[in-house]
Amino acid sequence: MMSILKRELKSYFLTPIGYIYMGFFLLVAGVFFTFGNLITRSSQYTGFLGGILFIYLFAVPLLTMRLFSEEKRQRTDQLLLTSPISIPEVVLGKFLAAFTVYLITLVITVMYALVVGIYGDLSFWETLGAYIGFIFLGASYIAVGVFVSAGTENQLTSALVSFFSLLMIWLIDPISNSLPVDLTAGIIFAALLVVALCGYIYLNTKNLYITAAVFLLGAIIIAASYFIDKVVFIGFMRKFFSWFSLNKRYENFSMGLLKVDSLVYYLSFTGLFLFLTVRLLEKQRWV
Amino acid sequence: MIEAKDLVKRYGPHTAVDHATFKIERGEIVGFLGPNGAGKTTTMNMLTGYLSCTEGTVTVDGMNILEHPLEVKKRIGYLPENPPLYPEMTVREYLQFAGEIKKVPKQELPKRIDEVMQTVGITDVAGRLVRNLSKGYKQRVGLAQAMIGKPDILILDEPTAGLDPKQILEIRQLIKDLGKSHTVILSSHILPEVSAVCKRVLIINQGKIVADDTPENLAKRLLGGSHLLLRIDGTPQQIESATRKVENVRNLSFKESQEPGTVEVVVESDKDKDIRRDVSKALGAAGLPILMMRSLDMTLEEIFLHLTTKEEEVAKV
Repeated sequence: MMSILKRELKSYFLTPIGYIYMGFFLLVAGVFFTFGNLITRSSQYTGFLGGILFIYLFAVPLLTMRLFSEEKRQRTDQLLLTSPISIPEVVLGKFLAAFTVYLITLVITVMYALVVGIYGDLSFWETLGAYIGFIFLGASYIAVGVFVSAGTENQLTSALVSFFSLLMIWLIDPISNSLPVDLTAGIIFAALLVVALCGYIYLNTKNLYITAAVFLLGAIIIAASYFIDKVVFIGFMRKFFSWFSLNKRYENFSMGLLKVDSLVYYLSFTGLFLFLTVRLLEKQRWV
Repeated sequence: MIEAKDLVKRYGPHTAVDHATFKIERGEIVGFLGPNGAGKTTTMNMLTGYLSCTEGTVTVDGMNILEHPLEVKKRIGYLPENPPLYPEMTVREYLQFAGEIKKVPKQELPKRIDEVMQTVGITDVAGRLVRNLSKGYKQRVGLAQAMIGKPDILILDEPTAGLDPKQILEIRQLIKDLGKSHTVILSSHILPEVSAVCKRVLIINQGKIVADDTPENLAKRLLGGSHLLLRIDGTPQQIESATRKVENVRNLSFKESQEPGTVEVVVESDKDKDIRRDVSKALGAAGLPILMMRSLDMTLEEIFLHLTTKEEEVAKV
C-alpha cells in the first residue's frame, strides 16, 4: 500500500494535475479571501470557509479523475492486478494519495486564518471545528471521486461524473425538503426500495429463490413496522435521502460543535464508497 | 507447475475461451499460436489472475489462483501485449515501484534492479523517462518488470509485436536465455517465432486448443506421408504406367504445368520412405525426362492455416 501511495503522490507532481488542482483551489480561495475578508475588512472567517466548500465541488473531481481511469487507459492496471498486492491495498493507497494532496492544500489556507487572527478577531473554536470538518468531509468527497474513477476509462468522463455526483449530494437538501412526508408516500418509497434491491440481487445472482426470499423479508419488515409504529414512515423518504447529504453535517463543525455521530457518519460514508470501489474493481475482472 | 483445467471465458453470448485444458511443466518454453482474436490474450489474462474465468480452474504449484491469489501472483511475471508502463516515471523509478509491489525485499531491490536492467540491456536508459523511449526499449522495460520479482513463470503476450527485425531477433534470443532458468509461456501469431523459440506449441483457434505438440511432431502428424512434386516431359498415361511398379508409391495426382508439353505430378509415398531414387530410375527407364523434383514438406505456416481453417480435417488427423 505504501508503494502505491508513494507512486501516486509522486505522479501528482510529475504530471500537471497536482499543480492544476493546487493552483485552481488556491487561486479561487485567494479570490474569495481577498474580496470576502481583506477588501471588506471582515474577520468573518467561517464565511470564507463556507466558500471553500463550494470550491471543492469543482476541485475534488480534478484530484480524483485520473486515479483509476488513467491506469485503465494506459493498461497499467494489468501490472497492479497481476502483482502480489490486493485490491483493497491499491484502493486505499490511491485514496490516501489524493487525501494527502487535499490536506497539503488545505493546510496552506491556514495562512489566511493567521492573517485574520493577527489583524482581527478569529473565532478560534469555530475555525478549528471547520477545519476538522473539512478533513472528514474531504475524505468523503474523495471517496466518491475514487469510486467514479474506478468505473471509467476516460479522465474527462470521470471528472464530469464525479462533479455531477457531488452536485447531487449538494442538492439533496433542497430536493428532500420538497419531498412528500405523509405515511403513504413513506410506505410506497420503502416498497420501491425493496423492489430495487430485489432487482439488483436478481441481476447479480440470477437466482429467483434468493430474490423471492429478500422480497418476502422486505415485505414483512414493512408490514411489521407499519403495525408496530406507523411514525417510522412519516418523512421516511426525506430521512433516507438526507443520509447522503454530506454538507448538512458539516454545518455542526463550522458552529464549533464536534459531534461523534457526524465523525462516524463521514468515516462510514468514506468506508462505504471505498468498499464499493473494491467491489467494482473485482467485478470488472468477471465481466 | 502451471495447470489449466476446462478454462472457459464468456463475454455475454460470446465464448472467448472454450474449455481449454493444458499442463505446463517446469522449464518448458511453450508457445500459444493462433490468429488474432483466437483467445490467446484472454487465456493469458486468466492464467495471471487479471481476469477471472467463467468456469474451470488455474493451479500453479498446486495452488488454485482463486484461493491463493497473492501466492500465485508472486510466482508469475506477466508482460501484457502493451507493456504496463507509467510514462511520467524514469526507468529506474518504474522498476523500483514494480519491485516494491512484487514484494522484493527492500535491501535487495537496488541490486535486483541493476541485475534485470543488465539482463534485458536497458542500463543505458535507466535515467530516462519511459515516455521518451522507443517501442523496443519499452518492451524491454516491460520484460524487466515481469522478471524483477524473480518469478518461476514468465508469461509474455506477443513479446515481439511492433518491433523492428533486429529488435525481434534480440528479444527472441533473450527469451531463449530466460527459458534456461524460467518456465516461459509466450503467445504469437507469427509462426517462425514460435518454431524458433518454443519447444512446444499450443495452437488456439476460436477459443479452443486444436493442437498441442512440438513443432516437428506437428509437421509429421499432419503430413501423413511424404510428397514429391515432379515436372515431367510426358503424358499422364506414360507417367502412370512408368511409376506403377515403383515400391512405396501410394498415389499420383496431376496438375496443370506452366511449361507447355509437360505435366506436373505430386507423388505421395508411405511415411518415412525416400522414393526419389526409385522414381527417378523408373522414369528414366521409360524415357521420360524429369525437369524438376522437389519434396513438399509442410511448413508450420501451412499447418497453422490447415488447423485454423479446416477444423474437420484436424478431427480426422
